[in-house]
Amino acid sequence: MSGAAVPVGIEVAEHFQDANQQRHAAVFGMWLWLATELLLFSGLFLVAIVVRVMYPDAVTAVALHLKFWIGATNTAVLICSSLTMSAAIELSRLGWRRGMLACMLATASLGTLFLALKGYEYWRDYVEHMTPFFGFRPYVLSGDRATQLLVDDYFIITGLHGLHLTTGVSVLLGLAWIARRPSFLRHHQHRVEVFGLYWHFIDLIWISVFPILYLLNR
Amino acid sequence: MSPSDTALRDPLTPRPTLGRPDDYLHSEHTLRSWLLTHDHKRIGILYLLSITFFFIIGAIAAGLVRLSLIVPNGMIFSNDTYNRLFSIHGIVMVWFFLIPSIPNTFGNFLLPIMIGAKEVAFPRLNLLSWYIFMVASLFTLADVVIGGVDTGWTFYAPFSTTFSSAWVVPALIGVIVVGFSSILTGLNFVVTVHTMRAPGMTWFRMPIFVWTMYATSLIFLLATPVLTITMLLLLMERGFHIGVFNPAIGGDPVLFQHMFWFYSHPAVYIMVLPGMGVISEVVPAFAQRRLFGYRFVAYASIALATVTFLVWGHHMFVNGMSEYASIAFSIMSFVVAVPSAVKVYNWTATMYKGAIKLRTPMIFAMGYVGLFVVGGITGLYLATLGVDEHVHDTYFVVAHFHYIMVGGTSIAFLAGLHYWWPKFTGRMYPEPWGVVAALFIFIGFNATFFPQFILGYLGMPRRYHEYPPEFQILNVLSSVGATILGAGYLFPMIYLVWSLRFGDPAPANPWDAKGLEWTIASPPPEHNFARVPQVDFEPYDYSEREQRT
Repeated sequence: MSGAAVPVGIEVAEHFQDANQQRHAAVFGMWLWLATELLLFSGLFLVAIVVRVMYPDAVTAVALHLKFWIGATNTAVLICSSLTMSAAIELSRLGWRRGMLACMLATASLGTLFLALKGYEYWRDYVEHMTPFFGFRPYVLSGDRATQLLVDDYFIITGLHGLHLTTGVSVLLGLAWIARRPSFLRHHQHRVEVFGLYWHFIDLIWISVFPILYLLNR
Repeated sequence: MSPSDTALRDPLTPRPTLGRPDDYLHSEHTLRSWLLTHDHKRIGILYLLSITFFFIIGAIAAGLVRLSLIVPNGMIFSNDTYNRLFSIHGIVMVWFFLIPSIPNTFGNFLLPIMIGAKEVAFPRLNLLSWYIFMVASLFTLADVVIGGVDTGWTFYAPFSTTFSSAWVVPALIGVIVVGFSSILTGLNFVVTVHTMRAPGMTWFRMPIFVWTMYATSLIFLLATPVLTITMLLLLMERGFHIGVFNPAIGGDPVLFQHMFWFYSHPAVYIMVLPGMGVISEVVPAFAQRRLFGYRFVAYASIALATVTFLVWGHHMFVNGMSEYASIAFSIMSFVVAVPSAVKVYNWTATMYKGAIKLRTPMIFAMGYVGLFVVGGITGLYLATLGVDEHVHDTYFVVAHFHYIMVGGTSIAFLAGLHYWWPKFTGRMYPEPWGVVAALFIFIGFNATFFPQFILGYLGMPRRYHEYPPEFQILNVLSSVGATILGAGYLFPMIYLVWSLRFGDPAPANPWDAKGLEWTIASPPPEHNFARVPQVDFEPYDYSEREQRT
């Protein structure tokens, strides 16, 4: 790995006793935020699962129209991005700043690749008339009304996930911009770790989305 | 002086004298120093001013609703105006007064002090939370008033998504955004309680107020995101015709009610638990006795925060759930009464053989206990399936939750406001006026809402503008009560402001109460404690007086 190791640490804010307390507070705060995110998504997952129990045939019809291979590729892309994010965290602990920056940028690129694939998938959905909410376009499964709630749920879940990922990529690029300063790791190393939790969590949400929407009843 | 007092008397903190330059109110005077403050005490005061403003708006709307109901034929306002008035009242009171009332004012001010911390864990996030609250709540208020939102505070679909012609979308955005203010406050409190306690401040040495704040924060964190997503789905349906709740476009209206009440029933405990915390501080201080069954009260707070997530279905007994689900929800709703009753018994047992001082906070607290019992017991009627069939969506329900929300939370808020007013401002409020206000509020409250139990039992539905003439006497009685209640609220607004300038200077501990907040000056210095307190005593350490008797 290129670049010599720089000192790593946390600048202790006035109201904390020591760096450990501050690190603990930051990490714990992020975990609580992730708990709120989980509940934000859980209602949408619940809708998908209840629809599946009540109308299995409709769910099968929808699942056959979803683009399984794009979803599967995206799952792989996000898992790779979590790997590079983990590498960035490890390197930040070691104080290898340039390696850490490279890994952060790789993570952001993989996130962007995911969003691009997702956008392509939406376009394919549009072409295949899988958009029941557009009044001006016929809907391919209009024979089965029960499919509509699931398709709407699919767009809302993936849209909300995409929004989170867009936020994640933006914050990551901002963090990388700040982290280019040599003094960053000496004062704010914990920010990389805290952000890493968020990134892994978005990944985890997708890992739940993929089986619930694409795999079940396929 | 008990051992805890000597241990905590900080030699570096001078005796309180007003206008000392280093207390949090006087360290800086500029507007900028308030608007950009990271001090949890100042943020608490900012919230106090904000929610007082919203309380006045909501109270005026309630007054107009009661005015309209004086006559049975709905002559005073048009139907649309009436619908808008009760929507303003509900939306403002629930989201902009009751939910932030105690946590964001007293919680912000006192929670760090009570656990011996200099600050909350994330001071900047705390300030951000206030800005989110202000922007979103003023935005929503403007939409609701100008755009004539007429959905009530519950935004039931498909009325809200399809049929209402008001500005529903902006109001939904406002409610979604204001939720983030709750989430950030809850997150801050939970992290603060976990990581910022002073040495020796173990979990079971924390005052009950901190326990209830902790339980409330857990509900903030776990319930608010569900409201966020529910409102977001409404928004999708109304704005983009993505069908989720309206059956005409593939949705399910009962789904809305499940999701909405999964948040909104726990939200009831967001409003109730902090009030219980305040009463648990006030009662021991004015009875000069250790809180009876401290651990049970602490556990009961957590139990309430847990069980409240399992009872949302009792809002939907007549909406087409399966009867087994209804039975399960009914049983769970009875279970909620157990921890609530534990608290009532413990407050009462604390007063037993105490040296009770009937000061204003204690009068409010005693009123609270009585009204909360009435509200709680009528809640059990509503949890009973057969009775609920009869009184569902009637004034019985309205009276029940006003006994909890107004008789409970608002009165607890006033109890706490009087109790900690010397600490917040460094001034004493005028005691005789406080007693008068407490009596006005207690009498006015009962006159307003007790007739509504009878009205509801006789079958008057809620949210209706017109009613049969035979209900007029009870409605007039209720409106007269509302006037007395309104006068009762007006008193504190006047004499508390008056006391800021003309009140007697407050000593550090005017009530001879225990707890870390009473060991520091009134008003507290900027960083609360000159040195970190060492906690080697139990909470509510009134043993000295108990030994004397």
